[in-house]
Amino acid sequence: MPLDIDRFAHVGSPLQRWDPRFKLAALGVLVVAVALIKTIPVAAAALIGAVVLVSLACLPASFVSQGVKWVSLFLLPFLLIMPLSYPGEAAFHILGLPFAWEGFRLAVLIVVKALAIVLFAYAMFGSSRFDISMIALQHLKCPKVIVQMLLFTYRYIFVFLAEMRRMDVAMSARGFVKRADRRTLRVMGDFVGTLLVRSFERTERIYKAMLSKGYQGEFHTLVVFNATSKDLVKAVLILLGAALLFGVDVAGIFNRAELGWY
Amino acid sequence: MHISDGILSGPVLAAGFVGTAVIAGLTLRNMDMEEIPKVSVITAVFFVASLIHVPVGPSSVHLILNGLVGVVLGWRAFPAIMLGVILQAILFGHGGVSVIGANCVMLGGGALAAYGVWQLRHWFSLERKEVIFGALAGGSATLVSGMVLSLALVTTGEQFLVMAGAALAAHIPVMIIEAVVVGAAAGFLAKVRPHILAGNTAPALLGRPSA
Repeated sequence: MPLDIDRFAHVGSPLQRWDPRFKLAALGVLVVAVALIKTIPVAAAALIGAVVLVSLACLPASFVSQGVKWVSLFLLPFLLIMPLSYPGEAAFHILGLPFAWEGFRLAVLIVVKALAIVLFAYAMFGSSRFDISMIALQHLKCPKVIVQMLLFTYRYIFVFLAEMRRMDVAMSARGFVKRADRRTLRVMGDFVGTLLVRSFERTERIYKAMLSKGYQGEFHTLVVFNATSKDLVKAVLILLGAALLFGVDVAGIFNRAELGWY
Repeated sequence: MHISDGILSGPVLAAGFVGTAVIAGLTLRNMDMEEIPKVSVITAVFFVASLIHVPVGPSSVHLILNGLVGVVLGWRAFPAIMLGVILQAILFGHGGVSVIGANCVMLGGGALAAYGVWQLRHWFSLERKEVIFGALAGGSATLVSGMVLSLALVTTGEQFLVMAGAALAAHIPVMIIEAVVVGAAAGFLAKVRPHILAGNTAPALLGRPSA
């Protein structure tokens, strides 16, 4: 699983050049608007918009598909369970279970919205360096402590991932095979415990090293944001899009998902 | 275990964010400088450990370990879980940006419940009580999270009633796995580094005093 979300942050595109503060704020509003959609055509429009943004940001499909794959895996049961369990009139029966189109349409709405939001998240965070996104969040009044901890955690995820792989190799070199039994679970418990002990010791070293470099509870950064009118125009465009989606959805032009396709 | 984007209704999403802000505000109180790297590094460990898959029959599930976060970090488990949820949403759409609040309440609530259960061990004098209470904490974290998940689904709409039941049922095997793993990890830590565990404040240099 690729964890370096900002792998394509260096590409030159309208999204990458967009001031991260405006980008996060505008797309954040858009995501909220999409989460509130209740009609299928509007959700589909949002999905198309998301695909357009992701391709504008030059994020390759192979990169984005990792997140999309996971979301679809999670949502597939909805397409199955919702129609069979919806408390409405059954259109027909599958294996004796009533199949309701209302439930199916609701499930489709859920899937389309989820895919759109995941793609918007890629556009938001895949188009700037992670640390810059975080500093932008701080400018957007996200508490300093949280931003600091996010930066920290992100930094050490890769270290511990490597550590875990080393331990994994060591275990298989000694002939450990994961099975569906209690012993495997106990060994995994010890494994996690060991990982914790190692990381605790590392934390102490890190903290001492930071103190000796003058850490006083604050991260300093050389990143300076320079917003131009272009950044503002982009934000206004996205906000207009969000307002349009929300307005059309609320206006009652289309049926709510349970009641019809359009 | 996450709620995905697109399912929950607006009020439930909003309630998730408000709940997260309130609990985070409470659990982040009196956080001193030294704790920032500590909580973050532990969060990174749990983030990585949640990528571990264990086989269950023909398929496999990944560990959640929010119970162990509670057992190790105590109250600070909530902010730690919150960081993990935010990063998972940002890095691979695990969960999703719009449901960060709801997922924090669900998983972080489980972690706080685990801490509560874990603290009960002080009232008992048993052999290997860390294993027993670690297991109880790990199991109850999953149980509470599953209940919050079902509650979120049901308050979104009654058409999710069956889905909520199915989700709760799917949590039973996960609960057992989490209980065994967290119990083993807590027992291991009690033997190796007892002061890592929440509520064991005094570093026991020469082993634990016998009860």
